[in-house]
Amino acid sequence: MDHTYLHSKKILLVDDEPELLNMLCTFLAEEGFENIVTAATMKGGLDAARSESPDLAVLDVMLPDGDGFSLMRQIRTFSEMPMIFLTAKDEAADKLAGLGLGADDYVAKPFLPQELLLRICAVMRRYYKEESTLIILDGSTVDLSRAEVNKDGAVISLTAKEHILLETLARNEGKIVTVDALCEALWGDNPFGYENSLNAHVRRVREKIEKDPSKPVSLITIKGLGYKLNTRK
Amino acid sequence: MKSFRKYISKYLASFVGLVLILLAVNAVAFGWTFYEVVTKDYGDLSPQNMLDTTAASAALDGISDEASAQLRRSHIWAVYLDMSGNIAWEIDMPDEIPEHFTIQDVALFAKGYLADYPVFIRNTADGMLILGYPKDSYMKLSSNYFSIRAIETMPFFVIGILAADFVILFLAYFFSKRKILKNTEPIIASIEELGSGKPAALSIQGELSGVANSVNKAALLLSRQNQARANWISGVSHDIRTPLSMIMGYSKRIADEDSLHVDVRKKAEIINRQSVKIKELVQDLNLVSQLEYEMQPVHKASIRIASLVRTCAADLLNDGLPDQYSIDIEISANAEITTFECDARLISRAINNLVQNSIRHNPDGCAIMLSLDCTEDRVFLCVSDNGVGLSAEKRKELQERPHYIESTDDRLDLRHGLGHILVRQIVKAHNGTIQIESEYQKGFKVMLIFPKTADAK
Repeated sequence: MDHTYLHSKKILLVDDEPELLNMLCTFLAEEGFENIVTAATMKGGLDAARSESPDLAVLDVMLPDGDGFSLMRQIRTFSEMPMIFLTAKDEAADKLAGLGLGADDYVAKPFLPQELLLRICAVMRRYYKEESTLIILDGSTVDLSRAEVNKDGAVISLTAKEHILLETLARNEGKIVTVDALCEALWGDNPFGYENSLNAHVRRVREKIEKDPSKPVSLITIKGLGYKLNTRK
Repeated sequence: MKSFRKYISKYLASFVGLVLILLAVNAVAFGWTFYEVVTKDYGDLSPQNMLDTTAASAALDGISDEASAQLRRSHIWAVYLDMSGNIAWEIDMPDEIPEHFTIQDVALFAKGYLADYPVFIRNTADGMLILGYPKDSYMKLSSNYFSIRAIETMPFFVIGILAADFVILFLAYFFSKRKILKNTEPIIASIEELGSGKPAALSIQGELSGVANSVNKAALLLSRQNQARANWISGVSHDIRTPLSMIMGYSKRIADEDSLHVDVRKKAEIINRQSVKIKELVQDLNLVSQLEYEMQPVHKASIRIASLVRTCAADLLNDGLPDQYSIDIEISANAEITTFECDARLISRAINNLVQNSIRHNPDGCAIMLSLDCTEDRVFLCVSDNGVGLSAEKRKELQERPHYIESTDDRLDLRHGLGHILVRQIVKAHNGTIQIESEYQKGFKVMLIFPKTADAK
């Protein structure tokens, strides 16, 4: 999914390794994110979060004067911005603690800058919705904000479940989403035995978005695993 | 523990043997010492013989010269009394012996002593022969009177006493053994625990508390060392991550930079691939050591295992699998509705590592299959491929290769990473087992078998 509309957002990076900050700044700048603030300490991070009011923060767990979790707690007292943790430990406990505090995601070191970029974009997309969310498919165009499909000039409206289904798939565009994840998105926790209902919804969505619903090209089945939505760039 | 019981029993057996040998030695020494005395007592000069020979050659009117000479040689005096108590003749009779014996006198010396001389008497047809031995040469125990009943019960008494002695001895042995075992059992048990690498904490009072303290100290030391080792590994792997992030980041950027020469980009690509390998190794190493020293809490929860396997497969595919590989998935209807108590993160890690193994060993590509089946109480998770497989020797080696932590072989081969070791650790943490099936050129198949609930064996 295109993320150019996010380029104007301000990102705060907090890590005690200046070289790493450097690399991430350069990389994010090359990807179009020009508005970047960095800090090397917990105090610096807190000050920057106050004065610069960034739209997203990437926090290292281990900082020279404290840890990322308490930094996050302090930022939370005055800001609702999304936060992502950079963690060098891969202990589950750390991750759980981070997410339990209301962190939006974490990236374990070592990581590729691309991974971090993907997480940043995914989290920001969740927080900062684009004005009109258009998904351009092979046979139709889906406007998620209006819950409408435009196929061959005709406007077809989506039901609530169909909307969630398409939205979930669109968020993971080009990737496989398992039936389990889709059922959970549609029916909540413990989505047990909804596979047939899911099939029915998929069939109806296909009728709305595909040129030939019996030979789908946009919403395709990955046998045994789930579904994938192919969009046209 | 059994060995210790056996040790004590053996010790007792040898003790009993020693007692028996001692008794035998005593008997021999006793026999040796008293043999001569006894032969002397019952030899030619014994009262019995002397009485026999002297009586044979004596009569009321005298004794043969030969017999009297024999008596003199032996310093024995003799008296012959007639029926009325007068001395018929005598040989060397001491002065204190009277010339005439009344009935009272006879009754008295018949008890064994005449004027302190031990005397022996023999009745003959016409009188009585008395032989007097030197003073203090014989002693008669004349004061013992036992009822017949007492003598008759004697054997039963002796046997009874012996039996009682045996019972007391056995009881003493039994209770002391029990007490020793009771005191030493926890010590032995915790030493055995130590041997298997588990921590031990003993609390024992009394004489053995010193031993218990030593065992506790050893256990503490061991667990501290393990902790230190795990911390060390965790520290190193932690500190390596930030520099590695930069190596990965920059090499990737160079590799993706269109303006650079293709050779430079290729080299950067190699750096990137290798640093990804280091990343995997570091992650595995840390987890393996945490699991080994049981520092990583295993967060078990009841989950739908089918969903987990699907997510794993989807993640692998979403992360971009090279075209020459494919991942298929096969979940039985049974498994679809099965919940399994496990640490989802660890199980995903195991699946991931097995798939990565298949990819690594088959650079020319292969079809990978994840399959899941369940029975009443077991979960069968299988990762297989149709690739080059393993030769019989290789497979054997893989199954029998010692754990790297137990191995002292400095040729230890970790070139293929810690993947397999980690899988083994994870399976162990879930009380499961691993089966490997492979034939050269006929693919590779790893079956992980878990009990459905955490505590079932």
